[in-house]
Amino acid sequence: MAPKTPPWQDPDAIPLVRIDGVTRHFGDVYAVDDVSLDIYPGELFSLLGPSGCGKSTLLRLLAGFERPDAGRLFIDGVDVTDIPPYARPVNMMFQSYALFPHMSVEQNIAFGLKQDRMARAAIRDRVGEMLTLLKIEQLARRKPDQLSGGQRQRVALARSLAKHPKLLLLDEPLGALDRKLREHTQFELVNLQEQIGTTFVMVTHDQEEAMTMSSRMAVMEAGRIQQIGTPTSVYEYPANRYCAEFIGAANLIEARVIEHADGMVTLKPADWDGELVMAQETPLVAGTQVTVALRPEKVRIGTPPDGAGGRVRGRIEDIAYLGDISIYHVRVPDGPRIQVTQTNLVPRAEQPLTWGDEIDLWWTHRGGVVLLS
Amino acid sequence: MKAAGEGSGLHGRNGRRLVIGLPYFWLALFFLVPFAIVLKVSFSEAMLGNPPFAPLLQTDADGMTALHLNIDNFLLMFDDSLYYGALLNSLQVAAIATVLCLLLGFPMAYGIARAAPRWRLPLLMLIILPFWTSFLIRVYAWIGILKPNGLLNEWLMGIGLIDQPLAILHTPVAVYIGIVYSYLPFMILPLYATLVRLDLTLLEAAADLGARPFTSFLRVTLPLAKPGIIAGCLLVFVPATGEFVIPDLLGGPNALMIGKVLWTEFFNNADWPVASAMAVLLLVLLVGPVVWLQRSQWDDADSDGERS
Repeated sequence: MAPKTPPWQDPDAIPLVRIDGVTRHFGDVYAVDDVSLDIYPGELFSLLGPSGCGKSTLLRLLAGFERPDAGRLFIDGVDVTDIPPYARPVNMMFQSYALFPHMSVEQNIAFGLKQDRMARAAIRDRVGEMLTLLKIEQLARRKPDQLSGGQRQRVALARSLAKHPKLLLLDEPLGALDRKLREHTQFELVNLQEQIGTTFVMVTHDQEEAMTMSSRMAVMEAGRIQQIGTPTSVYEYPANRYCAEFIGAANLIEARVIEHADGMVTLKPADWDGELVMAQETPLVAGTQVTVALRPEKVRIGTPPDGAGGRVRGRIEDIAYLGDISIYHVRVPDGPRIQVTQTNLVPRAEQPLTWGDEIDLWWTHRGGVVLLS
Repeated sequence: MKAAGEGSGLHGRNGRRLVIGLPYFWLALFFLVPFAIVLKVSFSEAMLGNPPFAPLLQTDADGMTALHLNIDNFLLMFDDSLYYGALLNSLQVAAIATVLCLLLGFPMAYGIARAAPRWRLPLLMLIILPFWTSFLIRVYAWIGILKPNGLLNEWLMGIGLIDQPLAILHTPVAVYIGIVYSYLPFMILPLYATLVRLDLTLLEAAADLGARPFTSFLRVTLPLAKPGIIAGCLLVFVPATGEFVIPDLLGGPNALMIGKVLWTEFFNNADWPVASAMAVLLLVLLVGPVVWLQRSQWDDADSDGERS
C-alpha cells in the first residue's frame, strides 16, 4: 500500500475547519490570542495544554457558545462566525456530558433529531442505530441518573453523533472516567472515529491521551498555539522549550553555537567542558545561545563510542524504579541533573548501578533537538 | 447508622426517639387536636348557649348514652348556593390568582437566577422586604392606591389617560391585585431556588443540538423547573383559597369567598357547626391535590437522590 500524503502536507487539500486569526478576550485576559489553524476532514485533532491555556475557549468558539472578538471561523467553506450554535453543522460532547436529566437515554439521543423536524420513524431508526453503534441498546429507557460514568459517556457520544455532524467537538471526553476505563475508551473512541469518518476536535490536558489518539495536535499556552503537528513530530521535534517540557520529559542543556557545517552544529555546553555535535538542518550563527532538548530515553549509559553526539560524566543521585523502566538522576559536577530512563532488562537486584556511582552518559547526533526559544 | 444505633444502646435509641418524636408531638398538639375539635363541632347541632353547639354524646331520659352525628351541616354546604357558590368562587379566584402569580413570578425568578451572583441577594431582598411590614397595613395601603380618588386614579387622570376615575376598589380586580401582590413572593422564592440550580450547560447542549432559545426553554428549563412551579403554586393556591382579609377589605360585597363566609358564620351568626363543616370541607378539597402534587414531587426528588 502506497503511503498516502496526509492532507496537511497536501497543498491541494481543502480544510474542513479554518480558524483565521481568532481572538477572544475576557477583560484583560486573552483566552485565545490570534490563533490560526486548519483542520482537515477525517482528522482526530487534539487541542492540548494546561488548564487556562484557552483550548476550551477555542472549542466553544467552534461550537458557537463564544463569539470571537477578532478573526473568522469557517466550517466546510462556510463562514460560521455569526451563526448561532443551533444552526451550526457541529455537535459537541460536553465534559460534564450535559445529559438532560428528565429524559431517558432514547429521548436524549432523539433530542437533536427532533429539532430537525425529522419523521418519527426516521428518528426511531437513527436512535436505534446510535444505540447499537455505542452498544447501549439495553440502556435505552434508563434515565441519566441510573447510568454509570462510562455509560453516560457513551450516551453523550451517541447524542452528539446522532445528527451526523460535519464536526464533532469533544471537551475532555475521557476526563471524568477512571484510569482503567480511560485507556480502554481511548482506543474505542479512535476506532469509532475511523469507523464513522467524522472529523473530531478534542480538548485535553492529558498529553498521553493526545499522543495515542490524535492525527495531529496543537500545543497551546496562554491563548497561543506553540506548535501544531503529528504526535511524533511534536515529541521528536519540539518547537521550543515549552513544548519539549510539556510533552514528555526533557533534559534542557544550555549551550552556545561554535560552528555549523554539513547539517551538523557544534555546540559548547554551558556547564561542562567538551563539545556537542547535533544534527541541525537550518544554519545557526556562531555565538547563538541555544537549548538542547534531550529526551531521557535517548540518553545512554556506558562508554561513549567514537562519533557520539555528546557525552558527559556524572554521579547517580537517585534511582526511581518504576517496574518496566528505571529513571536515573545523574548530576553533572557543578552542572545540571540529567534524567536517563532505561528499560529494566534484568531484575533490579542484578543491576550493577547504584547510588553514588560515577557513570558515563552519551547520545547520538540525533538524540537531541536544538531549540532557539 | 444501624450499627452505631445498636452500639449506643438504649439511651441513644431513646434519645433519637425523643428528637424524632418532638416534631410529631408538636404537630399532634397544635394541628391534629384542633382539627379533631373542629371535626367534632362540624357534626354537632347548633344551639343557643355556651358553647353554641350540642354535645355529640347525649344521655337521654332513660340513662342511655347515644352518639348523635349530625351531617346536616355538610348537606347544607351542597344545598345552599351561598356556601357552594362561595366555595367555587374561592377556588376560581385562587386558581386564577395562582396562574397570574406564576406568569408574573416566573420571569422575575428567572431574571434573579440569571443575574450576576452579586445582584441575586439584593434582588431577593427586594422580594422579601414587604414581609417586614404588617400584612394588614399593606392591604390597607392598596385601598389608598385603588380608591376612586386614590393614587392610581389620580396619576392616570394626571397624565390624561382617563378623565373619570376607574372603579377598581371593591371589584374582583382589586381582589386579584391584592392576592397576587401578597402571595407573589411565595411563588418567586421556590421558583428561584430551582432555577438557580439549573445547570446552564444543559441549555448549551440543547442549543448545540439545534434547539432555538424558546425550544430550549420549553423542553429543558420548564420541565426542570417543575418542582419549583409545583411548590410555588401550592404555596399560593392553598392560602389564597381560604383568604379572608383581602376580599373583605378590597373586594365588593357580592363576591363571597369561603373565608369570609366562614367568618360570618362564626362571629356574626354564631353557627359554629356550619362554620366547622365548611372548614373541614375546604380542608378535604385542598388536601387531595396537595397530596397528589407532593407525591409527584417526591418521585422527582427520589430520582434526584440516586444521581451522584
